[in-house]
Amino acid sequence: MSVLHVQDVTKVYEGKVTNRALNQLSFEVDKGEFLAVMGPSGSGKSTLLNLISTIDRPTSGEIIFNEMKPQNLNSTELAYFRRRELGFVFQDFNLLPTLTVEENVVLPLTLDQKPISVMEERLGVLAERLDLTTILHKRPNEISGGQAQRVAIARALIHEPAIILADEPTGNLDSNNTREVLELLSNINRERQATIVMVTHDPIAASYCDRVLFIKDGEFFNEIHRDDRRQTFFQRILNVLSLLGGGQVGDLSSIRLP
Amino acid sequence: MTFHQFAYRNVIRNIRVYAAYFMASFFSVFVFFIYSMLMFHPEIEDGFLGNVPIIWMVVAEIILVVFSWFFIFYSMKAFLEARAKEFAILLHLGMERRQLSRLVFLETIIIGSISIILGIVFGYAFSKFFFMIVREILMLEDLPLYLSWEPFLLTIAVYFSAFILISLFSVHFSPERKVIDLLNRYKTIQIDVDFTKGKAILGIVLILGGYVLALLTTRSTMIIFSVFIPFLIILGTYLFFTDTTQYFVDRIKNRRFIYWKKSRMLPMAEQSFVLKNNGKMFFVMTIVTTLAFLSIGLLATLSSYTSQYDKLNPLGLIYKGHIDNPKENEHISSLVSELEEKELSYQLTRFTVLKQTSSFTKFEVEVFKESDINNLLVSYGYPLVRLARGEAMFIPYSEDSIKELSKKRVETVLLENDVEITIDQVYPELIFPSSIVSLNSIIISDVDFRRLVKPYSSFPHEEPGYHLFAFDIPQWVEAEGVGVALQQEVSEESLKEEYKLPYYYENAGLNYSYILSTYSLFTLLGLLVAAVFLLAAGSFIYFKLHTSLEAEKKKFDVLKRMGISNHELKSLVTKLLFPQFFLPWGVALCHSLFAFFALQNILKNFANVSIVKEVVFAFGFLILIEIIYYNLIRWRYIAHVRD
Repeated sequence: MSVLHVQDVTKVYEGKVTNRALNQLSFEVDKGEFLAVMGPSGSGKSTLLNLISTIDRPTSGEIIFNEMKPQNLNSTELAYFRRRELGFVFQDFNLLPTLTVEENVVLPLTLDQKPISVMEERLGVLAERLDLTTILHKRPNEISGGQAQRVAIARALIHEPAIILADEPTGNLDSNNTREVLELLSNINRERQATIVMVTHDPIAASYCDRVLFIKDGEFFNEIHRDDRRQTFFQRILNVLSLLGGGQVGDLSSIRLP
Repeated sequence: MTFHQFAYRNVIRNIRVYAAYFMASFFSVFVFFIYSMLMFHPEIEDGFLGNVPIIWMVVAEIILVVFSWFFIFYSMKAFLEARAKEFAILLHLGMERRQLSRLVFLETIIIGSISIILGIVFGYAFSKFFFMIVREILMLEDLPLYLSWEPFLLTIAVYFSAFILISLFSVHFSPERKVIDLLNRYKTIQIDVDFTKGKAILGIVLILGGYVLALLTTRSTMIIFSVFIPFLIILGTYLFFTDTTQYFVDRIKNRRFIYWKKSRMLPMAEQSFVLKNNGKMFFVMTIVTTLAFLSIGLLATLSSYTSQYDKLNPLGLIYKGHIDNPKENEHISSLVSELEEKELSYQLTRFTVLKQTSSFTKFEVEVFKESDINNLLVSYGYPLVRLARGEAMFIPYSEDSIKELSKKRVETVLLENDVEITIDQVYPELIFPSSIVSLNSIIISDVDFRRLVKPYSSFPHEEPGYHLFAFDIPQWVEAEGVGVALQQEVSEESLKEEYKLPYYYENAGLNYSYILSTYSLFTLLGLLVAAVFLLAAGSFIYFKLHTSLEAEKKKFDVLKRMGISNHELKSLVTKLLFPQFFLPWGVALCHSLFAFFALQNILKNFANVSIVKEVVFAFGFLILIEIIYYNLIRWRYIAHVRD
């Protein structure tokens, strides 16, 4: 059963220079799937994520969530839709500096004015699961990058969204924290049947996913599925990337810079 | 592109970025110039006001200069802070710090020159209008527009040097920060809350103590309290903003059932951050705003005093002398001839007032004759007095006394001549100014008055009565030049310990012109200073918001992505801005209200003027301005963070 259905989506930025960021892109995401979207800079990944986030509208085509079309909603309904159905994980965490860790985590629920008992119950469960109990009363500037991203993931999970959108979630992390965050995401994906769409440059990050979708210049390029071993999956991702880069594998290093 | 061109284009092409800074500078120059135009005005220099007001004008001008320097310095700092990232890019590209200082210097000079030129042009254009207002206030014949080099030179000198010094100062003395910190400004925000419970409570206690003292102020305690109260209030206000507010927010934050409900969490958390970082600024703002409020309220008070002057002083000229005053004839005839020379119509009433001892109070009572009073009342156009034998009427000595005396009924005997009278009425208008009649003055019928043959005997050394010459002059304001020498003599004598002259003289017109011109001048000075203060106080917030706009924008971006509707965004901004605006203003309003309570108490014993109406009006007007200003800023702010 597909949670997200992207159908023939085209996005054209009008302006002094017209730019076609996405062209006739179609794909589906099933419930409980962990999908990575890869592509070189300027391939339209961010545009795609903005469209799925509903903060931007496609020029043509449709994006359907569980048979619902956010395009038809007005801006207030869209805001309600985002806060209930979508969870976000950002590259630079985007925790609010004035709130403590626990306040950052429950923020989506306070926006939705949920009862405090619900907030505390879910906070307890997530803090336990994501190992946040010791830092709950600290502020974002007092915790490490890996901890910050775990807090952000907790924030994305607390309102039990239909789909989690992650934008380069490991872009600002070192290799240890990267592994930790990716394992966390894939565990959550398995345990909670959470649907995750992750945009990334990093083939290692992508290798944790069930499926990798490659786009180039706003168009569908290729798609590969995970097999039994992560090593070989990683190798296959690298192969596609080298094809993407026009055969020059060396391009990748420049791509990987945040 | 040369370096100069770069600086020039920076300013001209980014005029919107520079607009706030430019407006602040422009307005300071504008006000200063208009004010200088007044100060150097030939008619004012010739001294129609005497020397004292001129000194006050210079003092006000100095306050204006100091404050506008501070104001420009502050806006400059905020402006540079807002552009930190731009400077970081320039430094990153390899610009030297020396070159950066030169860039800032050049830009400041460009903006400064433009604002000086425009400020002077607009100032000159508006000074005729301003002079017209001044002319009305000071009741001058004419206050023409003039052209002289002094105000121009003064304004240019003061502000040009200000811009040069401030630009050099603010660049050289700003702490050198690393480029990397400037580029990542948002991430390096420090947020620790620091307050102590003791200080928090002390702040409240000090303010309340100040308020209680203000309520208890009377004329006798005025001098001690006027030193003590400001000290308490200023210290209390400082602690209030650095500790008390944070303490309260923290207390609320510890209660989840309040704090986490109804999306209160975010604005509350932001608030504690805002309060912590801006406590000192809020303190300065509160004090500045209080000063502005006080000066405006004081002016309203003074204007009410002058407008009530006419009622309190119904007579044009009054001459009072002992019964055996040797100079009586000489003085009266000279006054009359002076009045005739000026072709002023007048009505002279001569009173013989006798002192008697009242059996009721055992003290003296001043007795007026019914027909004498009626002569004066005819010329006033007031209703006449009719008294039968044995009847008497109080003469009120102040507005309030009319009410009090009307309830009183006294049966007494004038002991010296054994005349029995009953006093059960009061004349419903003020007949004499309070300085002339004693608190115990009555009118009796002519029949009874003729029976007062034996003189006052309780205190043989005191005069048994006096002669009163009341000149009722319809155009009393124009009689200000009459009897100036006499007035001089009297006022010199009244400064001595004992008043020994056998006569006393009062010219209402002359007094009025003194009071009016002094007060009007204060009005003018106060209004100008208050305008600058209010503008500055508002601009402090504006600059502060402007500086943090970038970081705020990023925060709202995250929130929008997470799903916050337009309506919620607006209410969030409101919850964020409202306390920042109205907390300092509210505290200032509260301070000023208590200050006016004290003032009202003092004035009551002094000039018998009620200021409630004027104060309410002045404050209502101020609140209106603030609401407009707040909505303006809120509107701009929402527009900024929304896109």
